[in-house]
This record gives sequence, C-alpha cells and structure tokens, in this order.
Amino acid sequence: MSMIPQLLFTGLGIGSIYALVALGFVLIYRATNVVNFAQGDFSMIGAFIMVVLAIDLGVPYWIAVIVAVVTMAAFGILFNYGVYYPLRHRTFLPVVISTIGASILLQNGVLAAYGPHPQSLPPMLPFPGFTVGGVFLDSQYLLILVVTFALVALQYLFFERTMLGKKLQATSQDKEMASLLGIPVALMIGITFAYSAVLGGVAGILVAPLLFVSINMGSTIALKAFAASIIGGFGDVTGAIVGGLALGVVETFGAAYISVPYKDGFAFLVLFLFLMVRPQGVFGEKVAEKA
Amino acid sequence: MALLELDGVTAGYTAVDALNGISLRVEDGEIVTLLGANGAGKTTTLRTISGLMKPRSGSIRFMGQEIAGASANAIVRLGLSHVPEGRRIFPGLTVRENILLGSSNRGRVPRAELDRDLEAAFGIFPDILKFADSPGWTLSGGQQQMVAVARGLMARPKLLMLDEPSLGLAPIIVQQVFRTIADIRARGTTVLLVEQNAHMALSIADRGYVLETGRLIVEGPPATLLDNEEVRAAYLGGRVTAE
Repeated sequence: MSMIPQLLFTGLGIGSIYALVALGFVLIYRATNVVNFAQGDFSMIGAFIMVVLAIDLGVPYWIAVIVAVVTMAAFGILFNYGVYYPLRHRTFLPVVISTIGASILLQNGVLAAYGPHPQSLPPMLPFPGFTVGGVFLDSQYLLILVVTFALVALQYLFFERTMLGKKLQATSQDKEMASLLGIPVALMIGITFAYSAVLGGVAGILVAPLLFVSINMGSTIALKAFAASIIGGFGDVTGAIVGGLALGVVETFGAAYISVPYKDGFAFLVLFLFLMVRPQGVFGEKVAEKA
Repeated sequence: MALLELDGVTAGYTAVDALNGISLRVEDGEIVTLLGANGAGKTTTLRTISGLMKPRSGSIRFMGQEIAGASANAIVRLGLSHVPEGRRIFPGLTVRENILLGSSNRGRVPRAELDRDLEAAFGIFPDILKFADSPGWTLSGGQQQMVAVARGLMARPKLLMLDEPSLGLAPIIVQQVFRTIADIRARGTTVLLVEQNAHMALSIADRGYVLETGRLIVEGPPATLLDNEEVRAAYLGGRVTAE
C-alpha cells in the first residue's frame, strides 16, 4: 500500500529538478524571446564546480555549495555578455544558434578538462532519510523538495513584492516601453541570465548525488525540462513548475508499473499527447496576435 | 533658450529618410502640437527625440544639452518623457504597478514620495483609481490612455511628449483627455503633442507645426494654421467652416 506514496515522493523529487531547469528556460525565454539551448549545461557546470571544489580542492561541502551558487550567478552574467548580448538586436535564429554553440563549447570544454569518465558526489546530508508510515523519505530527495519549494517561494516574493521584480516583468513584457521609462533593459536581462544560471546550477548540484556527474547530464535533464515547460504552457512560470513536477511523477510511475527501460520515453509520450491535444499546454493561452 | 530644440534632424528606417531636416523648438511652459497626415513622420520625430531611433544628422538639444544619439534611458533621466502611440501598458502588471514604474528614471525615490506622486496621478485621473489593482490588459482603450499619461507624469518630466493620445477613443473621452492635457500644462509641465485630431489639438495648443512627408511646411499659432489654405485643405478638411 505504501508503494503509491513512495513513488509519488520520488517522482516529485526528480520532478523538482525538471521544474528548476524549466523555470530557467521560461525566465530567459520571457526576457529575450529565445530558448536557451545551453540551459541544461548550466546544471552540468554547477555539478562540475561542486566536483572541483568539494572533491578536488577539499573545500567543506556547504561552503562549496555557496561558492558554486555565487559562481553560477557570475557565469550567467558572463554567458549573457558572451552569447546573447552581442546578438540582442538580431532575430531569434542567430541567438538560438549561439546558445547551441555555447552548449557544445561548454560540454567539450569540460570534456577536455575532465575526460569522459563520470564523476560522483556524495549525498549532501549526513543521514540516509526517515521512514514515515512505510514510506522511505530519502534525505537527498527531501533536500531537493525543500530547496525547490524555498526557491519558488522566494522567487514569487521577489517578482510580486519588489520594484526590481516589477521592472524585470516589465522588461519581459515590452522592452522598448521599459527603456522609455528609464528601466535599464540590458541590466534586467543580465540579472535574468544570472538567476536562470543559478536555478540550473542548483538543479545540477542537487541531482548530482543521485546521478553521475557527466558532461551530458545536462542534456537529458534539459530535454525533460523543455518537455515540462511545453506541457505546462511555454512561457508560463506556474506551468513550468507544474509541468516539471507532473513529468517527474509520470516518469516514476511509468517506470514502476510499465517498464523501466522505457522510463525516458514516458516524458516524451506525454509531450506528444499534449502537442496533439492541447499544444498551448496546461496554463498557456492559445497563441494569437493581440490587437 | 528653448526647452527643446531640433535643428536639421534627419532620420529613417530604411535608406530613404523619413525625416528630412526637421527644425523645431518647444519653449518652457508651452503646448506645441505636431500635425500631419499618416506617414508624415510625426511618430518618427518623437521616437528620434526620445532616443528610440538615432538621428542620421542634425542636432537635438534638451535644456541646452545635446541629446542626439543618446540612449532612451539617458534621455528620460533628463526629464523628457515619451508616451508612445498605442499606450503600451504592461498587460501583466496592475494599473498601480504600471504607473509606479513610470518613476524608474528618477533613481531611488523614498516610498512616501512615490505614494504621494501616485496619489496625485490618481487625482488627475480619478476614473482609473477603482482599477488600481486590475491587470493592465483588462482596461478599455480610454482607461489605458489615462494610465499611460499618468505613467508618463510619474517621471516628473519637464517635457511630456504624447503620441496620438486620442486615437481610438470615444469623442467624450477625447474631450476629457484634452482637458487633462491642458490641466497638466497648467501644473507646469511643457507638452509636445502629436495628433491626427487637428481641431482638438489646436484648441489647446499655443503653437503648431505641420509635417508633410518628413518636412515641416507651416509653423505658427493655431489661428494662423486654421487660416492657412494649404493646411485646411490637407489636414482640417471642410469642417472648419461647418463649425
């Protein structure tokens, strides 16, 4: 009887990772109208920074986490200036190609530095978890759920309660009007990239102890996260979170009840069904030009 | 010294200039209107002044300072606010948030001061107070226009440029908008008004310019423009005599 809550717990845990990466996709998409194909690599870079700090340099684990998060924010700004900013007045296509190029560069850069062998990181908490009512709550999954919930709550407060949050929203809704009001649009987009890189990095750091840290770990996560954001309604913040969580749950139940080898396939089956039946996603509106 | 002075400004989107050597001035405290047919270059003139477009040549001075080629951000910080055509309300933000963002050019402003300015804005446009917490997209065209002007005023501009504030509004609302523009000037803000509705614009303006395919063809006080045969034929139609 404890099977269903157990699967739900695991599914929501892995779904949280997809949700964090999907949020990164959506925030950058809303600010720049471009899908960042290197979003998954933010997770990979975050995990590798942890390997460098915690394993190679022996920095205490939690200090390493803080340094990694700050480094990811700086990396996001650097990414903005290297990949997006020079092409900001162009159409979406050169920017998309630029992000694909960045993804290839990042993966091969890490490959050159670390070789093809996957690295591993220990669990982040010093205890394995609890058993509650026959359900084993793994500490790493618990941590993922708690951190994701806290990040989403903080993000909500930031966007809804602060002037800077409002300026970021204004920038994503109408850049030209924002600049006419004196909102520094380029800075707002820089902040968006920094935050999206942190979201991706945190997802990578959190999931690293569950998977191996490898150069293409980001691609798999990003593909699922991308599917999640389409299921939720592309461009919608709530949709990205709900889509991510739902995909994690579907995948986990599919693996348990239908087939483990086809685990990765369930996400795309759901995506396929949505594209057929409700292409605008759960929270999306039908695409229509407004007068 | 004029508040705003354009001298031989050319600008364009393509190889062809949309503005062909525009020279005009706006004195402190005036309402100046820029008239002309669709495509004459009225909107382009405003976009060039506010920094959305870079002029190809010529000079634009605001309070004696050269601003040609400066960024839109830098220009609005000097106190030159542009309320563009189509109102451009942020659809996903509330009316209050839209108006508050109008103060972005002023740097850090104490919350109490912002609240006072917001109150003053709602004082000028009492009709939108009840929509303060509604998202921008739910408002009617006339209400959005009021929000757009209120947002422009939050910049505490020395010069407020309005592009077609009457476009798409019901006649009764148009009168209300023009009364408000006169009121704004009475409170000390200079206004540069672009309009298709020449009669309404000239009824509140001190001076007017008429643009024709990127050139200014006539300049003068409303009476002069209303008497000008060329202007009457082209922009005012036969209704002058009918009224």
